[in-house]
Amino acid sequence: MATIPELQAYLGDLSAILWNFGAEFPCPTLDPYDDGSHGFVISALLPGSATPKPALIKLMETWEPSREGQYALAEYDYDFIEHPLDRRRGYHRHDAEDFLREFGVAVHEHCEEVLEKPACDHYMGLPIDGYEAIRRFTILWGQPGPLGCSKLQCIG
Amino acid sequence: MQKKQFLTPADIALELDISTSTVLRKIHAREIPAIAVSDRIYRIPAASFELYKAGRLQSAQPAPLGRPRPRPRIGEGESTPVAVGVAAVRRA
Repeated sequence: MATIPELQAYLGDLSAILWNFGAEFPCPTLDPYDDGSHGFVISALLPGSATPKPALIKLMETWEPSREGQYALAEYDYDFIEHPLDRRRGYHRHDAEDFLREFGVAVHEHCEEVLEKPACDHYMGLPIDGYEAIRRFTILWGQPGPLGCSKLQCIG
Repeated sequence: MQKKQFLTPADIALELDISTSTVLRKIHAREIPAIAVSDRIYRIPAASFELYKAGRLQSAQPAPLGRPRPRPRIGEGESTPVAVGVAAVRRA
């Protein structure tokens, strides 16, 4: 749960962390959405090899009104698409009811040792936040070798 | 020679002519951005070190509020349990 000023501070914090790693992206805004929720989108290009394209960290979150003046995290999409090493890692929460009903978990992960050639569409995951997503992605960033997708639990 | 994408605390120490333990203190104090690979291993993006040397590291500021807009569809285009069941991929 968070208030709008807390979400603004959180988004500012995530942005500063990425900028200080040399990532390039325009200053993000915390946007009010037409259904009363709020959210943001960051698409940060990381420095380093730009062949075929720079590595990308995408962070999207949507927060829905909960109690008076408070918002609860409803959906997220944290993705790391490392074009120079042709691979992807992702942590998602969306369509939570469908995932809960089918797999018993609201969140899931993506892992592609070869970009767009996943061995499994969705892997079991645990909830994380934007800080943890950046931490996990930057540990992988620029480090050759397998992501370890085969060690994850495929849920379908 | 190709420029290194990541530096070690020892690389930074050499460049700044300070000890590695001082570099580690700066990392722990968040003066130098670093990636904590483990409890003891840090990697510093070369871009971060350039920003540090230039005094251009950003301090966190609250993000501004944007304009009202339609809610984006998170997970758009991705197969979901329901969509998998009907062999379809959700599209806008």
